Order: sequence, then structure tokens, then C-alpha cells
Amino acid sequence: MKDIQEKRKEIGPFIPGPDDDLLICRCEEVTKGEIRQAVHAGMFTIEEIRRFLRCGMGLCQGQTCGKLVKGIVARELQVSPAEIEPATSRAPMRPTEMRIMAKDGGDDRE
Amino acid sequence: MERYDLIVIGAGPAGLSAAIEAAKNGLKPIVFDENARPGGQLFKQIHKFFGSKEHKAKIRGFKIGDDLLAEASENGVQVVLNATVMGLYPEKEVTVKIGEEIHHYKGDSILTATGASENMVPFRGWTTPGVIGAGAAQTMMNLHHIKPGNKVLMLGSGNVGLVVSYQLLQAGCEVVAVVDAAPRIGGYGVHAAKIARCGVPFYLSNTIVEVTGDEAVDGVTIAEVDRNFQFIPGTEKHFEVDTVCVAVGLSPMAQLLKQAGCKMKDTPGGFIPECDEYGATSVPGIFAAGDVAGIEEASSAMIEGRIAGAAIANYLGYLDADGLKEKENSLEDALGSLRQGMFAPKNRGKLVTKTEEGIDTSMNLLEKGFVADDEIERYPGVTHTVGIHPVMECTQNIPCNPCQDACAKGCISIGANITSLPVVKNDVKCIGCGMCVASCSGQAIFLVDEDTGDGYGTVTLPYEFLPLPETGEKGIALGRDGKKVCEAEVVSVRSAKAFDHTNLLTIRVPSDMTMKARFYKRA
Repeated sequence: MKDIQEKRKEIGPFIPGPDDDLLICRCEEVTKGEIRQAVHAGMFTIEEIRRFLRCGMGLCQGQTCGKLVKGIVARELQVSPAEIEPATSRAPMRPTEMRIMAKDGGDDRE
Repeated sequence: MERYDLIVIGAGPAGLSAAIEAAKNGLKPIVFDENARPGGQLFKQIHKFFGSKEHKAKIRGFKIGDDLLAEASENGVQVVLNATVMGLYPEKEVTVKIGEEIHHYKGDSILTATGASENMVPFRGWTTPGVIGAGAAQTMMNLHHIKPGNKVLMLGSGNVGLVVSYQLLQAGCEVVAVVDAAPRIGGYGVHAAKIARCGVPFYLSNTIVEVTGDEAVDGVTIAEVDRNFQFIPGTEKHFEVDTVCVAVGLSPMAQLLKQAGCKMKDTPGGFIPECDEYGATSVPGIFAAGDVAGIEEASSAMIEGRIAGAAIANYLGYLDADGLKEKENSLEDALGSLRQGMFAPKNRGKLVTKTEEGIDTSMNLLEKGFVADDEIERYPGVTHTVGIHPVMECTQNIPCNPCQDACAKGCISIGANITSLPVVKNDVKCIGCGMCVASCSGQAIFLVDEDTGDGYGTVTLPYEFLPLPETGEKGIALGRDGKKVCEAEVVSVRSAKAFDHTNLLTIRVPSDMTMKARFYKRA
């Protein structure tokens, strides 16, 4: 991605939309407006937006909203969704309680 | 840490097929699946599959699932259920949540067959209870026997939307509309025709403006969209419904492969691993098969799984290169044939205006869901002759051919090319057995006797609704468009084991209605 300040100038200021209150990430209750504003604040990757807003970090782990968030970010940046840097995939792939994580039977590793 | 020759993630059609193939070659595979039941989506599929006779065509999905499980068990494939793979590491180690603990397993090879998840589309009210995925509707109906709602609007006219709409009708729901933002129906014409003749209207170039209801869905408004998918003001239509079903495509669940460091690519069909023709990813020993490697359907997933299973056996030295080549050759043809025809990946999103035979495509079928009365006569399966004969309303080149083997007399011919339209040969006498009607996964074959001598004729149609009509009862014959054409009397209802739950309903209608009446509605 090129210079962040340059790109911010290029896409112009955040203009409120009539559907900004639409929920996109149901699990963490993140709206379309919040995601769009984050882009205008200079967050252009899914990783940054995810850390900032927590969208895609709830129960479904972005299974439902991942593609939607990507589409919104791409539209805001005026690029194809394929150009948006995806978020990192890391374990645990499914939400897991800490008490279960604590019972990791893998300590017999050689 | 336990070690296995092959760890398969996902016990759906691709994963089980790969594990079976690997086991047949002497490997010791273990299959993990996070669900309580194996089979992936197969057990939700109550319709008959398309394809060739050799590859499970005209068999219902859940039966294919049963067969696959039996074959897995015969070959000693170990399937662990309620086992969620939480992580996949480049060294081919997986962490699995089983019960209340995390277990570590090491595989000499890994096959990821994690499938896909449903896409969603956000509109005002999309989080209202009653807005559900089409897959969820299938799970409720076909696994748990719960009716998802009473009045349903379906968004999406791909095969999933069409098949699930039909299943909703079978479950006793009213489907008020099938809506799609695209200008043409995305799925097979025969699936669309099946619901159109039941009276379900299609609204193409339309999408949902909003769903209303505070506690639950009580209505939905749709509107037309222009070429840029912007709403056209003044075109709104409102439907009172309690359920909105969303069938707008699937996304591969490839996160484990990304975590393992496999090279990925972003395609219009989703974020998928780069694989060779055997399903091998960029990380040696890690393979992918089925929807996770690109959305297709269960038949291709099973073949891809078999190929990957053989390739893994070769990778670990259980199968030599010649053996793999032999396996690949036998399967590649089948896989290739499934990727032919009007719905081939290369035709995605394109308007195919002529069939392979050079016949004009039915535009009415693409835009309204049924072949118009003045279009139907141009297809080679539609002929006129004295006495009973099959009328095959199969108008698109799709890879499917069980009908030609269904007729013991040889009335029906498709030929060597599996996507060719069926041809009815009138020099062979039809005996009216109905095997072709029951064999057609698209329910597109009818037996017609245009004149039984008294100004009336008969139409035998495939019927999969319960309770079955009774012989002698009078009702209404519906046309391909689902509108009333005339009164009809049921003259016979045939159910046979060989028909596999497709009942053959014969109705008596005036002679001039025999080429129009295509469904029977009870009075």
C-alpha cells in the first residue's frame, strides 16, 4: 500500500451515509459507519481494522462478516477486494474457553 | 503425541473420499470433524443428484452419505466426531479440541477438506430473527424436521436457492418469491422449473431493501436494481413473510491452510489455496480437496477427494507413479465431464444463447423460471406421436445422463457426450413404465398420451409431495408457469421402490392441454 496520508487525501473525507448504522459484525456489534470511519482514519488492512474495532473477533470469527468488511474497506479505498490485505489466520480457529486451552495435552512433545 | 499417516480435517464428501482412497492403499488415516455427525452437507441433501450413472447420479444425497460412511468403515477409516481442529502448523501438526481438552496429532500428510460457509448480504433488518441462511433452513428441515417458517422469501436463484425453495415447499411452507439481483436465474433451469410450476414467482434484477419486524421478521420489501445494482425508486414490492432465506453463495473455509503457510490466492470464488491437479498445496504434504479449494458441488468434491487420497498415497510411497496415473486417468474424465456444459466454470456469469446442439436458449427459463409454451417444442426431447411417450423438458446442457439408461426399451438417447440434450426416438415404442420420469433428477420428464380417444389425454408427472393425491380425486392442472390451465382428474398414483420416493402421478386433462399441464394442485 502506498503512503497512508496520500491515500487518505485521494479517497477524500468521510461522508456519512444513510446506512452507516447497519450492523456488519453481529458478534461484536460493529457498524458499517465505524468500519468506513476507520478506513478514513488511515486503517487500510483487515488486520488493523480488526484490532481497532474487533470486527471478526467474536463467536463466528469473521465467518459471516469477513467478506462484508473486506467489501466495505475495498469500496472505501476504491480498489478491488482482492487488493485488500487479509487478516492473519491463527489458532485457535474456533472460539475456545480458557479452561480448555489450559488443558493442552501437548506437553508430551519431544 | 499420536502420529498418523494421514490426518483428514473434515468428514464431508471430499474428506471421507480421500481417507477411503488412502486407506485402500494401505495408509492409516484419521478423520476429524467438528460436527456431531459425519457426511458434511450430504445428509441435508434429500434431492437426487445429477451426473453420470457411474458417479452417483439420481441417488439422493443422504444415501450417498450413507454409502460413503459404510465404505469408510469397511476400509478401517477412523472418524472422530465433535473434534474441532483449532490449528494447523507447517510441520503438519494439528491441535484438536476433543471434549474438554486440546490434543496434538502429527500427520505424515494432511488433507484439509473443511468445506465452505454461507455468504450473507447486509440489508436493513438482516439481523432480525427469521433471516436465515438457506443451509440453516436445510438443517432445520432435513436433519431436525423443523419447519423454518410458514411464508418464506428466498434471496438467491443459484442451485442452493432453487433446491432449498423446493424443499421448503415439500416441508409445507409457502414460498412467496425467489429474488435475485442478477438479471438471470443462476441455477439449473430444471430446478427453477420445478418450483415455477408450483406457482413460485421469480423476481430477477431485484433485491431486498429491508426486512421489517421488531422481535421477528414480519415482512420484506424488495425493489428492482439497475445495471450498477442501485435501487430503482418506485419499484418496491412488499411481502408479508415470517422467514427470509439467504442463498447468495458460499465462501471456502481455508483459514487453516493460510495458518499453515500455504500459498493462497484471492479469487472471485473466495480465498483459496494454490493447488496442483492433485490438490497438493505449496507446503509439501499438505493437501486440499472439496469446497475449501474452490466452490463446486458434492459430486466433484468426492472425485477430488479420491484423487487427493491417491496422490497422498503416492507422496508417502504407498502407491507408485503408474498407479497414481491410472487412478488419475479414470477420475479426471469424470471430473472433467462434471465441469462441462452451460454451467461449466468457464461460463460463470455468461449468457449462453445457444445449446451445444445450436438450439436457442429459452430466455423465459432464465428470466421467469419456466420454458414458455412457444419455446418448448424446439427441444429434441419434446416430440409428438400417437400413444404414450416421454416428453423431456431438458433444455440446458448439463452433465447428467441417467435417463438414457432408465429406459429399457431404448427410447431415450443422450450419446457419449454427457451434456447433450436427451433425444426421444419415436421409432421405439414407449411402454409407459415411468422409469425415465423417476430417474430424472431435474424432474423434467413427463409421459404424455395426447389423445386417449375421448377428447382427453393423460399426463404422468413426477410428484414428491405428501400426502399423495388419491386416484379419482379432482383438482387443478397447473402450467409450466404455475397458473391454472384446466381441471384435472387423478387417474393413477404409482409408487415403487425403483422410483426412490418420486411418485408418478397420472392426470387426465383435455387433449389440447396435454402439452401444457405440468403440475397437479389438490383442490
